[in-house]
Amino acid sequence: MKLAKRDAGASKVEVPMAPMIDITFQLLIFFMLNLKIIAPEGNFDINMPIGAPSQAQDDDVNLPDIKVGLKSDAQGNLTQLTLGQKNLGNDDAAFDRLSGEILKIIVRPGNPLTKDIEVEIDADYELQYKYVIKAVSRCTGRLDPQTGQLVRYIEKIKFAPPHEPKGA
Amino acid sequence: MAKRKIDGGFTEPDMTPMIDIVFQLLTFFMIVSNFEDTKADERVKLPKDTLAKPPEVKPKEELVLNVGFIRDSNGAKLSNDPVVFYAGEDIPIEKIKQSLETEKRLFERTGGKGVIKDVSIIIRADSEVPTGLIQRLIRICQEAEFTKFSLKATQED
Repeated sequence: MKLAKRDAGASKVEVPMAPMIDITFQLLIFFMLNLKIIAPEGNFDINMPIGAPSQAQDDDVNLPDIKVGLKSDAQGNLTQLTLGQKNLGNDDAAFDRLSGEILKIIVRPGNPLTKDIEVEIDADYELQYKYVIKAVSRCTGRLDPQTGQLVRYIEKIKFAPPHEPKGA
Repeated sequence: MAKRKIDGGFTEPDMTPMIDIVFQLLTFFMIVSNFEDTKADERVKLPKDTLAKPPEVKPKEELVLNVGFIRDSNGAKLSNDPVVFYAGEDIPIEKIKQSLETEKRLFERTGGKGVIKDVSIIIRADSEVPTGLIQRLIRICQEAEFTKFSLKATQED
């Protein structure tokens, strides 16, 4: 590196700062322009083996599937959330009730039984996708309010055979 | 700003604090920037969910399918028919089969015959897409012999 020696100070050596600042600014601008703010995304795995989806594997497992039904109007809004035959309503609280009911079925989170139980989501054709994600999420587990850790309920989620559109 | 007096009469600004700050900023942006190619399409407004945690183990092979609506710059829907944003094109869900077959061939060429069983289809669907169409998409993927599926959602605070 070129060092400029000055006469003034007895042995004072000054490093030229300009090139370094140039490069640093270049880098700074590059990284600033490259910055993309993306919200963290998460996955919900679903179990969709090839073959008839309704083909139940009842031979080795005696546990019945949990059937979560989601009914919608023509605009795709949720009109009814059901668990088996039970109507849970159609508001936000309905999903909390679903969470509660699932907990009742599995007795306690982490129960070995949960490995064998499957949840079948049976949604209307028009229903907006966000409600399905909500239902899937409530069946998979909940966040512990104290620790913020995931408490897992049921891992296996599948879809019932699709419905036809209402107009068809 | 502090000025350092140099013999001869002219003053030189003290650069140290500025360089400090610039380096701080540089370090911040370097750490925050993410070069990972997520294949995410910004036009898709994913549903939000509290449980949507980034996966601890990334699937070995994945194929991301972005399903959304064609929107204008304000975010209003231009059409009510969702499309798959695939390789720069907008493909209706019913016509995605061909692209899936191409992807399948590509996976098989790089990973061998059975690799298709390990490929996860990551579905990034807009929150307003009708569920029936997502199921239709899954069915089409199954016909192309893909078996693993994941649904994406953004994390909610």
